Amino acid sequence: MELIGLSAAEVLTVLGGFAAAVTALYLLKLRRRQVEVPFIHLWEEVLAQKQTTRLFSALKRIFSWLLALAVVALLALAMGDPRQAGARAEGRTTVVLVDTSASMQATDVAPDRLGRARVEIERLIEGLGGDDRMLVASMDAATVPLSPLTSEPRILRDALARLTPTDLAADLGRGLRFAHDVLRDQPQPRVIVVSDGVLGEPGEAAARLREAGAALDWIRVGEGGDNIAITAFSVRRYPLDVSRSEVLVELWNPGEEALSVELTLLGDGEPIDLSRLRVGGGERLRRFFTDVSGADRTLEARVRLEGDARDVLPADDRAYARLPERRRARVQAVTTGNLYLSAALLLDEYLDVVEVAPAAYPAEGEFDVTIFDGWVPPEPPRTPAIYLEPRPPEGTRGPFVVTGTVPRPFFDRLERDHPILAFTALGDVNVAEALAVELEPGDRVLGGDTRAPLLVTGSRAGHRIVALLFDVRRSDLPLRVAWPLLLLNSIDYFTTQDAGYLSSVETGEPWRIPVPAGVEEATLVTPSGERRTVPVADGRAVCTGTRAGFYRVIAGDADDVFAANLGPSEEAIVAPRDRLELGGEAAGPPVIGAAGVRTELWMLVVCAALVLLLVEWWTYHRRLTV
Amino acid sequence: MIRRGVLLALAIGAGLALGLAIARAAIGSPTFELEGETYELLAPPALAIVGVTPLLFFVLSLSLADLPPLQRWLGALLRAALVACLALALARLARSTDVTRVATVLLVDVSESVPDAALARARREVAEIWGARGENDVRLVTFAADARVVPLGGEAGVPGALARHDGADGAGTDLAAALQLAYGLFPPGHLRRAVVWSDGGQTRGDLLAETSRAAELGVRLYAVPTTEAAPPEVAVTGLVLPDRIDVGQPFPVRAQVFSTNATRARVRLYQGETLNGLDGVRDVELAAGENVIEMRSVVRVAGAVTYAFSVEPEGPDRFRENDEISSTVVVPGRPSVLYVEGSPGRATYLASALGAGDYEVDVRSPRAIPTSLRELERFDFFILSDVPADQVSLTQQDAIERYVRDLGGGFLMAGGESSFGLGGWHGTRIERLLPVHMDSERRRDQPSLAIALVIDKSGSMNGAAMDLAKEAAIATAQMLSPDDYIAVIGFDSTPSRVVRMQSARNRLQIVRDIGRLTARGGTAIFPALDMAYQDQAVTRARIKHVILLTDGQTQEPGIPELAQIMRAEGITVSTVGLGADVNRALLTQIADIGGGRAYFTQDPHNIPRIFMRETSTVARSNVVEEFFQPRVSTPADFLRRMDLSSAPYLHGYVATRARATPAQTILVSDIGEPILARWRVGLGWSLAWTSDVKNRWAVEWLRWPGFSRFWSELVREHMRQRRRQTLDMTAEVVDGRARVVVDAIGLDDQFLDGLDSTLHVEGPLGRGASRGDRFERDLPLRQTAPGRYEARFDLPRYGSFVLTAEHRRDGRPVAESHAQLVNPYPREYLTIEPDVALLERAARVTGGHLAPSVAQVFDPGDERIRHHEELWPKLLFLALILFVLDLALRRVRWLDRSFRSSPARGARAR
Repeated sequence: MELIGLSAAEVLTVLGGFAAAVTALYLLKLRRRQVEVPFIHLWEEVLAQKQTTRLFSALKRIFSWLLALAVVALLALAMGDPRQAGARAEGRTTVVLVDTSASMQATDVAPDRLGRARVEIERLIEGLGGDDRMLVASMDAATVPLSPLTSEPRILRDALARLTPTDLAADLGRGLRFAHDVLRDQPQPRVIVVSDGVLGEPGEAAARLREAGAALDWIRVGEGGDNIAITAFSVRRYPLDVSRSEVLVELWNPGEEALSVELTLLGDGEPIDLSRLRVGGGERLRRFFTDVSGADRTLEARVRLEGDARDVLPADDRAYARLPERRRARVQAVTTGNLYLSAALLLDEYLDVVEVAPAAYPAEGEFDVTIFDGWVPPEPPRTPAIYLEPRPPEGTRGPFVVTGTVPRPFFDRLERDHPILAFTALGDVNVAEALAVELEPGDRVLGGDTRAPLLVTGSRAGHRIVALLFDVRRSDLPLRVAWPLLLLNSIDYFTTQDAGYLSSVETGEPWRIPVPAGVEEATLVTPSGERRTVPVADGRAVCTGTRAGFYRVIAGDADDVFAANLGPSEEAIVAPRDRLELGGEAAGPPVIGAAGVRTELWMLVVCAALVLLLVEWWTYHRRLTV
Repeated sequence: MIRRGVLLALAIGAGLALGLAIARAAIGSPTFELEGETYELLAPPALAIVGVTPLLFFVLSLSLADLPPLQRWLGALLRAALVACLALALARLARSTDVTRVATVLLVDVSESVPDAALARARREVAEIWGARGENDVRLVTFAADARVVPLGGEAGVPGALARHDGADGAGTDLAAALQLAYGLFPPGHLRRAVVWSDGGQTRGDLLAETSRAAELGVRLYAVPTTEAAPPEVAVTGLVLPDRIDVGQPFPVRAQVFSTNATRARVRLYQGETLNGLDGVRDVELAAGENVIEMRSVVRVAGAVTYAFSVEPEGPDRFRENDEISSTVVVPGRPSVLYVEGSPGRATYLASALGAGDYEVDVRSPRAIPTSLRELERFDFFILSDVPADQVSLTQQDAIERYVRDLGGGFLMAGGESSFGLGGWHGTRIERLLPVHMDSERRRDQPSLAIALVIDKSGSMNGAAMDLAKEAAIATAQMLSPDDYIAVIGFDSTPSRVVRMQSARNRLQIVRDIGRLTARGGTAIFPALDMAYQDQAVTRARIKHVILLTDGQTQEPGIPELAQIMRAEGITVSTVGLGADVNRALLTQIADIGGGRAYFTQDPHNIPRIFMRETSTVARSNVVEEFFQPRVSTPADFLRRMDLSSAPYLHGYVATRARATPAQTILVSDIGEPILARWRVGLGWSLAWTSDVKNRWAVEWLRWPGFSRFWSELVREHMRQRRRQTLDMTAEVVDGRARVVVDAIGLDDQFLDGLDSTLHVEGPLGRGASRGDRFERDLPLRQTAPGRYEARFDLPRYGSFVLTAEHRRDGRPVAESHAQLVNPYPREYLTIEPDVALLERAARVTGGHLAPSVAQVFDPGDERIRHHEELWPKLLFLALILFVLDLALRRVRWLDRSFRSSPARGARAR
């Protein structure tokens, strides 16, 4: 026996104190009531008999005292919350991993799979022995415990109430790793996964749990039904013609029967396209919408089954995308006057060009790109830069160490795949002279011959650069179409992030959303309107979310929208798995019948005290005790 | 007795009714407000116990106790209150209240990047916090890749030392997972605090992203960054290889080495399994901070080459794991040229010249010309020099044409005695492929030719052989200029003039006459040859030639003699033997004596080419043997960097006629005939070099210093640029998983959608990587956006990996992608400097800060937390008090004490 309420000393103190009080009361002699009688001799016989029962009276008194002491002892003991010695160590330790991923929103069972999971876990709680402890954790892309390891049903039920479904894929491996951490060195470890079985790979954690002697059980929920899912939805602007964009929608019918569906595309909240499609059983149908118009900021795709068919998982019927912004690029051209440069920059209407003389550098304002025409600043600029013949003045270190010049170099070798060289033909450009330079690690030569590089990209002071290592005016390059193309491609290379642009992020992943410079914290507004403060690191707000939809990031004066979707996963499979293999063995349902009976001894002790109190009350008033 | 029974029944009934009513009411509304506080019954049915109180009063009604009635009633009420107390205790009355108790989970990073001194300090601070906890709750978790709960309390209190995690666990850090484990350790009814001791290095998870959840769950995070000086450490942090490496060209290999202190070290560079030949071992001085060490290397054989760079510092070095890094680069092979030479013994001149120009040259005889596109795919340029058409089958010609048209290969026919028209290429597919016509303008000025075709039309020629013989005769007639003469004599047992000797300009008539040839009868050569002789003898022509075609055996006498006579009169005779049964000796003899050539073939399909070649050879009209210096007619890029005026004379060429634009004639002879011409055919280039590449016409060029450069530059400009389109592929390792992205944008600026793409991953490669540890897998690349394909997979090994993707459309490969992935060692060993900024940001988001004092750890501040306090222990205590009061009420006569003045009272009573 051990006490988990009051300590043994405290129990003894309480017991001692009250026992002393009780004893003191019993030591008091109850003053008898005086009754005057008319003739004493009539009572003498009675009094004589009374003398003979004195011993019996004493015994009744002692019995009464003992009864009172027993009541005090029982109540004091109950306050100590006694438990059977060692029982806690022998109780089972259970981690319940409740799948809260997107597929658990399926309504094939009433009210939905997560609701059914709650019912199943309630049964587990009811079957929990008094010495058993349980932890309830929600498991999607992350695993978050909703309760501590406890034997208290109320806390566990609170945890059940806090289970919420997410638009995430389940990561069973992560969940099992968490369970392994929790169950390390715990008695009779057990993991119960409550899920439809669409869980991802269990990884090595399942085997580690088995090795540690943990039982791995699975409570299967779900029955299956029809489902059509949007498994990919994204939009990209074309690399060169950024005024146009292309949209990809992928529909997946994970079932066996073909389904007729209606696909609606909304731009900025208004329908811009509606198509009726037939998606075969198991088919992933991709639709490409080229040259999408009618949307400036956001796109949304919705799909629904036609006719009487019922889609049991509405969660994957919507997807969201953010159109990449096409903003004007601000270009600072530091030049003493170069008609070829000015003319080339005039060709792109999306450029805001400010020309400054070297003496006036830097110009007022912020720029996306700086072009240095035959001049090198004393300090590297804080923008990406294009250098034309970067010959540093004496005593200044430019982007390259110049070692001399090379006469009549050619573009013998060209990295034709590089975006800067797209649609250019430089093979026959004549150059009078080029700088011979020392390249730095990480520099990439895009064109040149064996004697000298002519076109180089790299990075200086954390910003990308492009360098043409000759004076374009001493070449026939400006007379060619390649010249403006080369220049505009370079500016695009710096200012557009299309190659890495994602029209949506994945739920559950860490998101890094660009925010204006100088901001240290940002506010994330979720699709439900909830606001959260999120940190900013390296110019990006770092956050994550569990629901698909449009999010806002408010940072300083900037207020931007981005979209989040469920990433690639099997969550659309609504047919529950028949078998879940964990650690080399099939996991089965837990044996709830073998669960212990809750044994909170204090309640039994109090009940015993109550019975004694009733007995004591009866015996006292019937003068069986005094 | 009856009255007692009735009272008992009433008491029981009232008790039941009371108990049920109270229980029902309690179950219906277990929560109630009292004086601003919320109370709740957690087990409301237990309140039914109150139903026993009527029994108390029933017993009271039977009481024999000698106490004043009021005292008895007070006692009963106290006892009822006692029962009610116990009932409330069993019903688990709880009170919701705001508390300020703090539960703190102490998270100590015990990964290998954290120095021992930092761990010792963390332990001291943990002990300090434990000692100052008071009523607050404190839990301890140590974490690396995994997190573990460390028991606190008991006799030991705080462990004497914080143990590191064993095995591979220590080689990683997952701050987010440790925080997630902490969520499960906070007891209810406590404000939540977490204090993390760490260097901020993470190999898995994202602490910053997790802090949003921590803030949501009410966890305030404090951080104590590692401040202890790191023990001496040298780490190789990067290995940079040039983007492009050419076979045989030395290049720099740059290694980035970080050192915490200035020290000396020996560095080694391995190429594959062995030390780098050019620069293998070097002793270097390392400065504190980043160092770049450049070594030179050269790749001799194309293909994937793995470099490994290792550093061995002289002084102490904390981690050996980060002392080596490897990286793999795919070195493209030298461009390969297939050079088919009709005279293989004279192939060395051009082969050497191209070899010096950095080409792989595969010299073959005509017999080894590839017959399939797949074989030709290996080559970037194909030179066919001085090979007659009859040695290149139609299948091979078809493959060459598709090689140029579809695969973008470069093809050049070089001149010679068996090339162009002289080789019988007139009218072939190859002629259509070339930028020149093989009938030269010059032929009109040449003396006329009289040719007599003597064709065996015996029964054995029936079928395809006869048809092809007629086709050959027609082709010959069409090759001739209008000034030439032609006669066709068919023979079996007797000869007949199918076409009498006449001008070749009567082509329609001649073709119609040839079409009358039918096969039947035996074989008698002599009369036919004699008829040809007679026809030639009376014809006025500068060149008189007879071509004899037969497939049979004959033992006729006098044929050699007749040939001799013909030769004496300037009439030459060539023979063509068809089939295996032909009399080879006789035909060879006739040709030898007749000053012609003997041809033997078993395939009748070769007959037309043999006839054409023979006609061209006899005519010799296409050969120009004179010294000349080629001059540039149309400029070409590859000529820009060479001075052709210094080129020596060529001694001859095969006369051809330039095709119209878009064909370009680059070099011409002094009379303007094409020497070098080119045009685009499909994806590739086709070129004609009408002089030769050997020591006959180009003998002076072989000694010219620019010979090698001329051919190297020519081939470089016209060879296939690449086999397929290459799509950009990038790969990175995130959280131990590889993430591969292919950006598929076509040359026309359109996204390449709907590709069936497969990624092949292989590695780790290089030194020390055994084949048994090799990770090799094919994975699908899934399209996730227009022109974007992705794959993600676990990378269970460390080292250098090569990634190759093949992109197919309709089952045919259309593009490929290449990338390398370096996952040198666990990122734990890259954590050398603590990331204080990360810890500071994470703490700030949750309302915490860096380096909290003990008081701050337990400071609730303005925070309160709603806590359900179970009241049953207090109710039991109250029950004890009530019980003692109850006893006191029964053991002491508190009321009706007037009996002390009993005489008066007794008198009154009387």
